[in-house]
Amino acid sequence: MYLQIGLILLIMVLAYGLAKWKNLSVELCMASSAVAGGLAGAFIKAPPLIQLARHLVEGTFTYLDVMLVFVTATIFIKIITESGGVDYVVRGIITAFFNMRIVALLMLMIVLLIPGALTGAGSVSILTVGAPCAMALGYLGISKKRVAAILFIIAGLSAAAPPVNIWAMIISAGTAIPYVGFEFPLGIPVLILGTFTVLFLGWKRENNMELAEVLSRMPTIPEKMNAWRVALPFMTFFGLIAISRIWPFALPVMGLPLQFSIAALVALLVSPKRINFLVLSRDTVKLLLPLLATMAIVGSLQQIMTVTGVRGLISYTVISMPLIVLYISLIFIIPISEGILTYGGAAIIGIPLVWFLDSIGLHATVAIAGLSLIWPLGDGLPPTALIGRLTVIMSDYKGSYTSFLKATWVPWVLITITGILMILFSAKLSFLVEWGM
Amino acid sequence: MSREWIQKSLLICIVMTITILSGVQFYRHRHFQLPIVAGPGVTKVTMLSDYCQSLKGTPADTRVFFMEGAEEGGKTLIIANTHSNEPAAILAALIFIENAMVDRGSLIVIPQFNNSGSRNTKPGDGYVLFFDIPTEWGSKRFRMGNRNAAPLDQWPDPDVYVHYPDKKLFSFLDARNTNRTWPGRENGLLMEKVTFAAMELMRTEGVDVAIDIHGAETMFPVTNCIVAPKKAMRIATITSMIVNAREGFENHVEPSPKSFRGLSHREIGDFSETMPFLLEAPLPFLDQPTGPKTEALLLDGKDPFLLSLSKQKKLFVPYDSTGWSMEKRVGQHCSVILELMNQFSRRNRERSIIVSQVPKYAEIIERGVGFYYKDPDKADRERIYYN
Repeated sequence: MYLQIGLILLIMVLAYGLAKWKNLSVELCMASSAVAGGLAGAFIKAPPLIQLARHLVEGTFTYLDVMLVFVTATIFIKIITESGGVDYVVRGIITAFFNMRIVALLMLMIVLLIPGALTGAGSVSILTVGAPCAMALGYLGISKKRVAAILFIIAGLSAAAPPVNIWAMIISAGTAIPYVGFEFPLGIPVLILGTFTVLFLGWKRENNMELAEVLSRMPTIPEKMNAWRVALPFMTFFGLIAISRIWPFALPVMGLPLQFSIAALVALLVSPKRINFLVLSRDTVKLLLPLLATMAIVGSLQQIMTVTGVRGLISYTVISMPLIVLYISLIFIIPISEGILTYGGAAIIGIPLVWFLDSIGLHATVAIAGLSLIWPLGDGLPPTALIGRLTVIMSDYKGSYTSFLKATWVPWVLITITGILMILFSAKLSFLVEWGM
Repeated sequence: MSREWIQKSLLICIVMTITILSGVQFYRHRHFQLPIVAGPGVTKVTMLSDYCQSLKGTPADTRVFFMEGAEEGGKTLIIANTHSNEPAAILAALIFIENAMVDRGSLIVIPQFNNSGSRNTKPGDGYVLFFDIPTEWGSKRFRMGNRNAAPLDQWPDPDVYVHYPDKKLFSFLDARNTNRTWPGRENGLLMEKVTFAAMELMRTEGVDVAIDIHGAETMFPVTNCIVAPKKAMRIATITSMIVNAREGFENHVEPSPKSFRGLSHREIGDFSETMPFLLEAPLPFLDQPTGPKTEALLLDGKDPFLLSLSKQKKLFVPYDSTGWSMEKRVGQHCSVILELMNQFSRRNRERSIIVSQVPKYAEIIERGVGFYYKDPDKADRERIYYN
């Protein structure tokens, strides 16, 4: 069986390579790989040929909920951006803290963290507040390469930040561990690592512009824009989340997509500028299309890998490693699995790994939190490089992709070390979970 | 006609064909009706919604089979397919429905507890849609379902599931998991209505013992066991010892954690007089490090990766080249259920439950599960119930 599954894996890799050679997009490369894997599997009736179409289609539904959140959350933030709200906040931060550089950097970090923390997707942080934040960081005298590096790392951390961490949710659902108690094991490292990242990469000032000059270069804010107009949509969203927690049994379940949609409607109503909602929605979906396509195809690929046994083989290989080798290899395996499968890696490797770590006495919740810190780093790695690609576009960085990635190495290493240490010492860090219960 | 237009049209045709082909399969799976032949012991068949009006007419409503003995006695409720991707449960439940004779007391069986989940698939996990159990008259086909109810029946999911009544937080998926929604609410989410109806059934009928049948991964610590709260612990422990000594299979006991809410073995005991037990049998198909997810793996539980991991002592159950067959799993469930009822009866003579004609572990392994199923084509039509 090892040989059969190994051959299927080889065929999938070859199909991917061939599609790449033909200059097809990453999504089509993955689709080719899934189809080729499914056809190869059909030779051993795994799956039977008649079931292949069903598996391909069923897989695309794996992340449907996440995709709906992506779309509605991005439309929500796009309305805020279009109305001048994001520029208003960035201008406010620069005006108030231009001479307090550290505070300005920390405020921008918070702005970048919020969208990803709410949606579980770092890409939403980049797509929504990435461009204005990149602009503000530039005004603070940081080079474009370092701006891109900050955006990428903070967006990754935002995806890991509570309350919504998709990796942790996937593993929790698969291991029957309640998705509770993650606030501190995730929140504390994210804030510490985020602070280190913005200070380390943003410390060096490369130009000496005066505040007046900076403000003159920033986009103009619509006249009627004020703090209330920015705050009201966010208050609506957080209010809906809050009432669903305070009175959970008195209200119908709305779900994140509807909550974002209602907040988007409020943002539209309070916008000082007339916004063509249909055009904005169309453009947003167009912008998100590669991301949505990737999510759909990753689901298909994951399903084909499961039904053919390829996923099991990978999972088996990881679990079979000696403990020391396993800990060391996690440094590579976790980001690479994200680069290839995005969230799929959490199911394929994360679930059995957490069971195994739990069985040797480690604390599952803290270990999951540690792993979730490392996973987003893989969003800068090919073939998908979801956040990495978006970062380069949004920060308007013109240099090579590799040079941008190299600029992230210090925070990358620190995040990896933190994640691994959290896994190793998870039992001793279990008090972090208890704080949040 | 431009080349690009032709390419796009061709791609749309391919996608449409694939979608229609798979759509037909999904439709057949969701609407497949499982024939259940009510055995000689079945005295009445009702719907779960009889105990919760708000469940009536919903896709989550399901059948309840009653087997009442001539003599008054205690009552046992068997709940199967709480998780419809753990199919040994429904196979064991059907053995009781189609064969059991109740001499004293009553046996109540809900074979498809999460009816919606049994009509759902698990995207990304490559499950088979159906599996066939060989019988003497051909094969009997079953739906392979999912752990959670179908989003077609209960949607949207909350961002986080807030458990009723103590407000503990769970993953959003658990809002559709009927082993996290106990004790349920009459006007809550659909799956909360399902568990509420079952609680009402237990309270109204005066059920003494409730047994919730499950399956779990060989790499999951809580497998091959009986989970019980403190008030049911003694019976669980003695049952475990007796099946081990007399029938030769291990089935240890796990205590029901007080702080882990929403589970049947916790909430049934806390919200009614009923004594709950949850049975777990190893289910290699659900493990992550396995070969292809085929019907054969589901039925025989043989897998080379698990065998290797067993040698590395990374599994929580004994595992050899014989795998962990469906017969073993169903056999364990039947024997443990019978012994639980026996032990309860010994301690509560006036509420005893006496059941016969149900095969035990060794017999099921020898004859196969399908041996105990009746041919619907030869059965009295009035005794066939579809679920």
